[in-house]
Amino acid sequence: MTTTTERVSETTDTAPVRKKKSTKFSPWGVVAWLVGLGFFFPVFWMVLTSFKAESDAATNPPKLFFVPTLDQYAAVFGQGIGPAMLNSVFATAMSTILVLLLGVPAAFALSLRPVRKTSDALFFFMSTKMLPVVAAILPLYVIVSNLGLLDNIWALVVLYTSMNLPIAVWMMRSFFLEVPGELLEAASLDGASLWRSVREVILPLVSPGIAATALICVIFAWNEFFLAVNLTAVNAQTMPVYLVGFIAGEGQYWAVLSAAATMAALPVILCGWFAQNKLVRGLSFGAIK
Amino acid sequence: MTLTADTGTDTDEGAVAERVRKIKESQDVGVSRAEGWRRRGPLLPALIFMIAVTQVPFLFTLYYSTLSWNLVRPGSRQFVGLNNYIAVIQDSQFWSVAGNTVILIVGVVLISALLGLGIALLLDRAFLGRGAVRTLLITPFLITPVAGALVWKTTILDPNNGILNWVLSLVGIGPVDWIGQFPLSMVMVELIWQWTPFMMLLILAGLTSMPRDQLEAGRVDGATAFQLFRELTLPHLRRFIELGVVLGAVYLVNTFDAIFMMTQGGPGVASANLPFYIYQRAFLGFDMGQAAAMGVVVVIFTMIIASFALRLIFKSFSGKEEAA
Amino acid sequence: MASITYKNASCIYAGSDKLAVDNLNLDIQDGEFVVLVGPSGSGKSTALRMLAGLEDIDEGAIEIGGKDMTGVPSKDRDIAMVFQNYALYPNKTVAENMGFALKLRGVSADERRKKVESAAKILDLTEFLDRKPAKLSGGQRQRVAMGRAIVREPQVFCMDEPLSNLDAKLRVQTRTQIAALQRRLGTTTVYVTHDQVEAMTMGDRVAVLKGGKLQQFASPNELYDRPANAFVAGFIGSPAMNLFTAAVAGDGVKVGDSVFELERDQVSLLAGAGLTEVTVGIRPEQLEVTDTGGVEVVVDLVEDLGSEAFIYTHAGSGSNGIELVARANPRTAPRLADTVRLRKHPEGAIHLFHPESGERLN
Repeated sequence: MTTTTERVSETTDTAPVRKKKSTKFSPWGVVAWLVGLGFFFPVFWMVLTSFKAESDAATNPPKLFFVPTLDQYAAVFGQGIGPAMLNSVFATAMSTILVLLLGVPAAFALSLRPVRKTSDALFFFMSTKMLPVVAAILPLYVIVSNLGLLDNIWALVVLYTSMNLPIAVWMMRSFFLEVPGELLEAASLDGASLWRSVREVILPLVSPGIAATALICVIFAWNEFFLAVNLTAVNAQTMPVYLVGFIAGEGQYWAVLSAAATMAALPVILCGWFAQNKLVRGLSFGAIK
Repeated sequence: MTLTADTGTDTDEGAVAERVRKIKESQDVGVSRAEGWRRRGPLLPALIFMIAVTQVPFLFTLYYSTLSWNLVRPGSRQFVGLNNYIAVIQDSQFWSVAGNTVILIVGVVLISALLGLGIALLLDRAFLGRGAVRTLLITPFLITPVAGALVWKTTILDPNNGILNWVLSLVGIGPVDWIGQFPLSMVMVELIWQWTPFMMLLILAGLTSMPRDQLEAGRVDGATAFQLFRELTLPHLRRFIELGVVLGAVYLVNTFDAIFMMTQGGPGVASANLPFYIYQRAFLGFDMGQAAAMGVVVVIFTMIIASFALRLIFKSFSGKEEAA
Repeated sequence: MASITYKNASCIYAGSDKLAVDNLNLDIQDGEFVVLVGPSGSGKSTALRMLAGLEDIDEGAIEIGGKDMTGVPSKDRDIAMVFQNYALYPNKTVAENMGFALKLRGVSADERRKKVESAAKILDLTEFLDRKPAKLSGGQRQRVAMGRAIVREPQVFCMDEPLSNLDAKLRVQTRTQIAALQRRLGTTTVYVTHDQVEAMTMGDRVAVLKGGKLQQFASPNELYDRPANAFVAGFIGSPAMNLFTAAVAGDGVKVGDSVFELERDQVSLLAGAGLTEVTVGIRPEQLEVTDTGGVEVVVDLVEDLGSEAFIYTHAGSGSNGIELVARANPRTAPRLADTVRLRKHPEGAIHLFHPESGERLN
C-alpha cells in the first residue's frame, strides 16, 4: 500500500464532478419565459389587485399602474380571518402527521418485505382513491352529524387523512423501493437489527421522499373545499370556505376579494415555491432528482 | 471444434425435480405465521383506517339509495327498492350532466396533456432562468382552486372589466360574456390552466430520464429531430403520459370547486358535472335517496374506468420507478 | 477457529424450479483464501450469500468453526462482506461507515476511532475519513468497503466480485493488495469472481463451479496441471486450453491430415477403455512450432503481445476442422496464411477426457 501506486490510479480513477449550469441564450428559452409568465399571470394579477383601491380594481381598461394601498388587507383581517386560518393550519398539519404515521409503516411493509398479498393491498389503496368522494358525502354527512362532529375540525382531519393516504402510500413506497437491497444486507451483516437498519440507513435515505410526500399532502389538504363546505359551518371553517363566505358577504368588490383570495392561497404557494425541488420529486415519483 | 463439458448433467432429471419439490414444500411451511404477520403488521393500521373511512360510508350510500328519503320531511323514510335508480335513469338532466362530466374530463385531460408535453419539451433544454420559469409554471397547481376560479371569473373573464375582453377589444372583437355563453368551456379552461403544470412535471420527469445515448445513436443513424421524437422519445414518454392522464382523470372526476365558484352549474345544468349535480340534489334539494342512487351510478361508472386505469398503472409502474 | 464446511448445501432460485447451488461440499481450513470461480449463473455468488446468511440454505448445512449456521441470522454470524457495488451507507462519512458495526456492538467512541484510524492507515484512506461516499472515486470506495470489513476483525471475510467495477490497471493493483492483506491478517476468506486470473493468483485453493455444481476444488497448480474435467480444463488458463474431439488413429488421434501423437500409456489406456473418439486437451504454451513431425496447420491469426505471441491456426477443414492455438516467439512467429507444423513441447502434458461425459481419463 505505497503512495506511488496512488499516482497511477489518480489519472483513471476520479471522484464525480457536478456539471455547471448552462447560461446560454436561446430563442426557445424566450418562448419558455413567455409561456411561464403567461401561466403565472392570473396569480400575479390577483396579488396586484389586492393592493388596489376598489375604484382601481374593476376598470376598463384594466389598470397596471395605480397607488397601492393596504386597505383591502385591513378589511380582510378586520373580518376575522384568524380562526379560519387556524382551522386550515390545524386540519392540514394534523392530517399530514396522521398520513405519515399511518403511511410510512404501510409503505415500508409494501416495499421492503413483500408478502403474497402485497399487490392486493396496494391495489386496494389505489382503488379507494378512485371512489368519488361525492358518493360517500351523504352518509358521511349523516354519520358526522350523528357523531356530533358537524362543524368540528376533527371530522376534516380524519377525512383529509383518508383522502391523502393512498397517494402518500404509493409515493413513499416508490421512494422506499429506491433503497438498494445491498445496503440492507450490509447493515444486517454489520449486526443491525431490522429496526436499527430502518432508523440509521433507510430513513435518512428516504427522508427527502417523505418530505416531498408531506408537501403534496399539505397542498391537497389546505386547498380542499368540497368536504369542508359541506361539513363545516362557522366554527370549523377552513380558508377556502372562508373565502366563499367572504364573497357571499362582499359581492362584486374585486380588490378586497383578491386580498382574501391571496390570503387563502398564499401559504401553499410559498410552501410549494420554497420546497420546489421536493415537490417536483414527489410529483414525478422520484424520477427527477 | 470447441468443447463444452457435459459433466454432471442430470440423466435423472426426475430426481432433481423431486428435490426441488421437497424444498419448496418445506419453504411454504417455513415462512411461519408469526413472520407473515410481522411483515404485514405495519400495513394494518393504514388498511383498517381506509376501510373504516371509505368503504363503510359507501355501504351506507348503497343503503340510502334504496330509500325514499327527504331530509326536509322527517319520518318520510321508506324502502322503495330500485325506484330511485329508475328515476335517475329517466332523468334527462342526469344524462346531460353525465355527458358534461365526460366532456369535461376528456377535454381537460387531453388538452392539458398536450400542453404539458409541449411545455415540457421547451423546458427540457437548458436556458437562462430555467428554474425560475419552472417556479412560475407550477403556481397554478399550487393555488387554492376556489381562489383560482374566483380570479378567472372576476378579473379575467368578466364581460365588462375582465382582461380577456380588454385584450380582444384591442383587435376589435366585441365584449363577450364568456361565462354566460360558454359556461362549461370556461370551467374547462380554468381546469386546464390548473392541471397543465402537473402534466408538464410528469412528462418532464420522463424526458429527463430518457437515456441520451439512444438519441445520439439515432442522430448518428441519420434521424431528423422529428423522427427522433416520434420513434424514440414518444414511446419512452408513454408511461409518464399515461400516468398523468390516469391520475388527472381520477382527480377530475371529483372536480367541484371551479364549477361552484364560476357558474354554480348553470345556466340550468349546462355546466354542472355529476358531483355538483349530486351536491345540489342532496344539500340544496335534500333528496337523499336520489342523490345516493346517483352516487352509486357514478361509482359504477368510475370503477369501470378505474379498472382499466389501475391495470395500466400496475403494468407500467409496478414496483420500481424508471431508473435513469 | 474459523473453518468453513459446506455439507451437501443447496439453494433454489427464488420463484423458480432451478437449483442455484446443487449439493455443494467444500472443506475450507481456518485462515485459507478460497476462491469460488465460474461463469455467470454458476451459483458462486449464491453459495457465498448462503455462507453470509443472505440466502436460505434449502438443503444440507453450512458450518462455521464447527457450528451449524442453519437458522442463524446474518448479524450473528460474525462475517464481514465486501459487496460488488460496495453498498456504502451514503449518508455516513467514511469513518462512520467503517465504524458502524462497532457502534452497533457498543464499542466506545475512542476505541472505535482508534480501530478505524488504523484500518484507514493500512488502506491509505486517512485523508478521506470525513468524506461521504458520493465524493469518492471508484477505487477509493472499494477501499472503504474493504476497510469496513477489516475493522470488524471477523472470523470470515466474504468478497463478492469486489474488483469487477474497477478499471483494468486498478484491478491488478488492488488484487495484490487484497492478497497481501489477507496474508497479513490471516482471516479465512471466501472470494467470488468470474475472472480465472484472479482465482489463480489469489487463491490458496480454488473451487470451480458450473450450473450450481462443484467441478473441482484444488490448488491453482493442480487445476492447471490436472483439471478434473473438460470444463475446468477449458476454463482455467489464458488463452484457453486447446480442446478438441478427434478419432483415435494409430499412435494418436487424427488432426486434419496428420496424426497427433499421444504417449504410449495414453494409447493403451484408450484401447483398454474401448474408445474410438477422445477429447484431447493441450495448452497453447505447450505447443510449439516445429520443422519435423507434429501436425500440419494453417495460420489464421497472429497476436503479438510483445513478450510472447499466440498463433491461431486450424487443421483440416469443414466439419473435420480443428482449431489450435499455440505460443510462439514474437520475433520468429509465422505469418498469416503460412502453413506450419505444431508439436507438443517435450515437457508438455496432454490431457484426455471422455468425449461424452468430459471426465478426465488419464
